[in-house]
Amino acid sequence: MAEHTVASFDEDLRQISRLINDMGDLAASMVGASTKALLESDNALAQRVVSDDAIMDARQRELDDRAITLIAKRQPMADDLRSVVGAIRMAGDLERIGDLAKNIAKRVGSVGVSAAPRDLTHSIDSMAQMVLIQVQGVIQEYTVGDATALAKLRNDDERIDVKYTAVFRELLTYMMEDPRNITACTHLLFCAKNLERIGDHVTNIAENAYYVLTGTLLPANRPKQDETAMSAPAA
Amino acid sequence: MKPMLSTDLNAPDTTVEKAKIEVKNLNFYYGQSKALKDINLSLPERSVTAFIGPSGCGKSTLLRVLNRIYELYPKQTAEGQVLLDGKNILDRSQDLNLLRTKIGMVFQKPTPFPMSIYENIAFGVRLYEKISKAEMDNRVESALKRAALWSEVKDKLNASGLSLSGGQQQRLCIARTVAVKPEVILLDEPASALDPLSTAKIEELIDELQADYTIVIVTHNMQQAARVSRQTAFMYLGELVEFDRTEKIFTSPREKRTQDYITGRFG
Repeated sequence: MAEHTVASFDEDLRQISRLINDMGDLAASMVGASTKALLESDNALAQRVVSDDAIMDARQRELDDRAITLIAKRQPMADDLRSVVGAIRMAGDLERIGDLAKNIAKRVGSVGVSAAPRDLTHSIDSMAQMVLIQVQGVIQEYTVGDATALAKLRNDDERIDVKYTAVFRELLTYMMEDPRNITACTHLLFCAKNLERIGDHVTNIAENAYYVLTGTLLPANRPKQDETAMSAPAA
Repeated sequence: MKPMLSTDLNAPDTTVEKAKIEVKNLNFYYGQSKALKDINLSLPERSVTAFIGPSGCGKSTLLRVLNRIYELYPKQTAEGQVLLDGKNILDRSQDLNLLRTKIGMVFQKPTPFPMSIYENIAFGVRLYEKISKAEMDNRVESALKRAALWSEVKDKLNASGLSLSGGQQQRLCIARTVAVKPEVILLDEPASALDPLSTAKIEELIDELQADYTIVIVTHNMQQAARVSRQTAFMYLGELVEFDRTEKIFTSPREKRTQDYITGRFG
């Protein structure tokens, strides 16, 4: 894309996309660290995720500030307008991902103290890996401007939904097998739900990024298979 | 996940509207130099169309063809057709005075006549109609009201039009245009010499007038085009590059040249 006649306009836009990149990296690191803390009962790591969330919030405020100032000063049009409005929306989703990762991290203590066998967390681990790949992928594809990859990435969320259904059933089975698992498994259920919702936020980001890049909206209906929707309460 | 926007900008505009003006294969020459190249364009009735583009792109030229005002100057020629309600106004048989009662024009700089506010409006009406003093009073009042100027001048109708502020003078010119009951109003940079408040009043006025008139506005101010118009034509080097709904032009234009211009990446 050619440079603007007013060079400082380009610099303003670059700062906003830098912030989105920073927030994306931070979100991925928080998701990775919170699940690692959960799986390894690492309270110190969990604590780091909680404090990272404050950084995430500060980044979002800075991005909002810069985006609003840019709109007021430059009245962006077309792709510039889409990228600024898209950045505000994406920052909102990234901030929510940070919140959900923090929520997982805060459960580490509760899960850790109960006598939760390691294998309870096995399928959560693989679900977390799927989510982490999505979080890392979405910002990367947006940065390189690959709209096709974003459309695919958005559809890939379906796999996380399917996985969540499986985890949900598995944890339910553990609880029925042995009521002493209930406390740990309930926390793990919330963690799984949080991971599933992180996947939804990634979907939002992918849709926004696609619109920013192309000016067109992805079709509204994406395959959706959360079979626990009727029986699982929202976390 | 629901779609982000409730309106799909990519959906084709299915509203069928009557075209007030249709421009067909229009070419325009200043002497030997070609200023408009094969323009085809349809302006819907009772709606605002904006022409945008860099200086020299032909947008004012196109506006000037629509009421044949270019004929005031030698060596300016138009080829092709401009249909007003299906009738070609470029035809030799077209009565120019009649055409200009149907198609009024307001210019960049306010051009009040050096006479009273009342006479500024009555003068044009008298050229075309013989009406009584009472009827004329009504006509002047309703024109000034339509131009949102009545409350500011009703107690000084005999004061000179030139005593008004720039923004008021421009609204007086719009009142003068409206008074002869045109069907189309051409606005050539109507607010570019005005302060923001007067500009807002003119824009508000355009918004109201589109209920009754077909309006075409040439503007350098893209935010203004985005605010007031329903469809926008982007012109460049005498060509019509893109013509679409205004939201589409300003959020996701089809053509790269349009995008580069409206985002400030030209040249």
